[in-house]
Amino acid sequence: MNERVIRGRIDRAGALVSADAPLLRLQQRAGAGLDKPLALPHLARLVTLAQRLHRDISRPLYAADDHSDIHALVRITPDADGASLEITDWRTRPLAQPQIPAIGEGTAMPRSWTWECDQQLRIVALRAAPDAPPIPTGWEARSLSELFELQPDDDGRFPVLRALARQSRFDGQRVQASDIAMTLSGEALFDATGRFTGFRGLAVAVDAPTSSDTKPGGALVDPVFGSLPLSDPQFGRRIDGALRGPLSRIIATAETISGQFDGPIRADYARYAGDIAHAGRHLLGLVDDLADLQNIERPGFKAAADEIDLGDLARRAVGLLGMKAEEKGIRIDAPRTDDKAPATGEFRRVLQVLLNLLGNAIRYSPDDSQIWIRVDREGDRAMVTVADQGQGIDAEQQAVVFEKFERLGRTDSGGSGLGLYIARRLARAMDGDLTVDSAPGQGARFTLSLPARDVA
Amino acid sequence: MTESVSSPGIDPPSPTLSARLRELADYLAAPTAGRLTEEQRALSLGIARRLVVDLAARLDPEIDPAALWAEWLRGGLPCASRLAGICFARAEEHRWREQSAQRTSPPPLLSEPDASSIETPTIGETPSEVERAYLTLQIADRRRFDSLGNPSLAAPDIDEEVFRALLLDIAAWRLAEVSQDRARASKLGDAVRVATEQQTREMGITRAGVAFYNALGATLPDAAAGAIGRHDWPTLIALAAACHRRDYDDMALALLTAETAALPSLLAPLRLDHAALAPLEASLAMLPARAVGGADYGDARLAERGQ
Repeated sequence: MNERVIRGRIDRAGALVSADAPLLRLQQRAGAGLDKPLALPHLARLVTLAQRLHRDISRPLYAADDHSDIHALVRITPDADGASLEITDWRTRPLAQPQIPAIGEGTAMPRSWTWECDQQLRIVALRAAPDAPPIPTGWEARSLSELFELQPDDDGRFPVLRALARQSRFDGQRVQASDIAMTLSGEALFDATGRFTGFRGLAVAVDAPTSSDTKPGGALVDPVFGSLPLSDPQFGRRIDGALRGPLSRIIATAETISGQFDGPIRADYARYAGDIAHAGRHLLGLVDDLADLQNIERPGFKAAADEIDLGDLARRAVGLLGMKAEEKGIRIDAPRTDDKAPATGEFRRVLQVLLNLLGNAIRYSPDDSQIWIRVDREGDRAMVTVADQGQGIDAEQQAVVFEKFERLGRTDSGGSGLGLYIARRLARAMDGDLTVDSAPGQGARFTLSLPARDVA
Repeated sequence: MTESVSSPGIDPPSPTLSARLRELADYLAAPTAGRLTEEQRALSLGIARRLVVDLAARLDPEIDPAALWAEWLRGGLPCASRLAGICFARAEEHRWREQSAQRTSPPPLLSEPDASSIETPTIGETPSEVERAYLTLQIADRRRFDSLGNPSLAAPDIDEEVFRALLLDIAAWRLAEVSQDRARASKLGDAVRVATEQQTREMGITRAGVAFYNALGATLPDAAAGAIGRHDWPTLIALAAACHRRDYDDMALALLTAETAALPSLLAPLRLDHAALAPLEASLAMLPARAVGGADYGDARLAERGQ
């Protein structure tokens, strides 16, 4: 460790106004000198960062010298007239093979496009590998999010937007481009001054939809919707494609505004944008419900028979929605870890049902109330019950609560009215059932029962 | 040059020997001149191949580009002298940009919670004329790469005569390969005409550079200085080419082969102050094996002294 401290001083305009010999030599070898803008891109970026944050920062520093790389630690203290630099642990290392640009032999992938955009996410290059789907015409200068319809990840986030904010690489951004599902990855690009100049990366076509999704289906007339063929897979796909893209774009743009990636805006505007993103996610949830509906109403739909434990699944549901309950001061009394209810059902689908029940309970419970989740067994049925202290539902309402789009007269933006219908259909597809027991003013108890499983 | 090495009565037994004798004769004619490095050869050959393959596909999708290229590699490229200049210019430009990018790419900044407040890209704003022109220039530049990021030549960037001659060479090869039938010949002739007309319609980097130059107006010196500061060499070359009313490739070669002392006068129309040229001079000075007379001579003398 070299304990010597190398000092320097940057003025308000970003010029190096004084420097100890090693730093000055480096600056000179980079083609600049004293009273010239800092010619060391990484250091210049760090100085800019410290000045933006108005606080000291300490970071590793990397700089390229003629025949070696410099690795050091730098502490930058911004002030009204510029910034002071203190560099320690100055080490020279042999020149490492520099990062090869993202587009290269090593990154070539089958069925992929290579793309590049500028810092405003406008496409400046798009090329297809020989076996890739043809690229759309008129891509030049279009916005990345226009050419590739961004899809949120499982957490409802957009990796490319996060990368834009952090100016870093990203991958796993799901997109839809000209009816082709693709995954986008990219490296952040910087120019010699350290300014972010865009992304360059790959768009790889993901596998075609599974065969069950692509089976042509007849236009099954839905008893509720009459001639609206909701159960027709073709219709389902069309509505999915038609809504998901624009909604994703709305959410992405609203999150961009809400995250203030374009610079600070008024707090209430940022909040409105957050509301738009929230509403967009809600609508996306409705699209998911419709897709689910289409799936479970397909003739021959059958859930898998996994060996599950309702106690374990209930605890997982609590883990996922616990934060939401906390926001309203709701306490959830979940099954203890030794409360087990072995059953047979499809893991993913049972969790979906429990999340729906618990989500409803949180949504319709008063603040600072309590929700109970109990597991039990009666004969050959394993059961899990979610009980809340909400306003409850009367007998008449209980008769229709599992109908499609039944929201019991509620008009808030809480749900689609499909959740309980889907939940019951799923329960029955697993040879189980979903029932409700409630009285006005006494909360509601929803019970999911499934075939019990005997454990040796 | 070929005649001087073919002694009467001696028939070179192979193209390899013939080529080596030509190379030796060239060397003896100018022993102190710098030679192509393997990298320069490989880059230029790759650029030529990608161009030939691209044009063959434009001419007739049924042409087997691998067979065409293999045959031309064996027998020599019929358009060798025409291709040499443009391929070498593109290869040298690419070497320069690669070196610059490798030396200046900063590592990604470590994760910083407040990083969303730095570098604020704007999305969705209507771009100004200058921004649009710069974007068009960037797109024209990126067209000069293949899908793997290898350097290539875009059709609109090639001199019309060279472009047409190369198309005719490819058409002749295709005709010889399939048949001499008149209908096919006329179809290929039509294809050459269509490809040539299409080429004149497309916007290459030279024209994109002129449009950017015109859009800049009085801000030209700032834009050029900014390009140098960012090591944005294609923008600098395009602006210089527009000033001199030269093709982009010509200008690139002029810059890349210029003595350091000649740079200020070469870039005088950009109205840059001398200090702004420093990063350019430094970057060019670091590029090895540049085809600069003085530098090569110096290298050769050092080599002779065994240093």
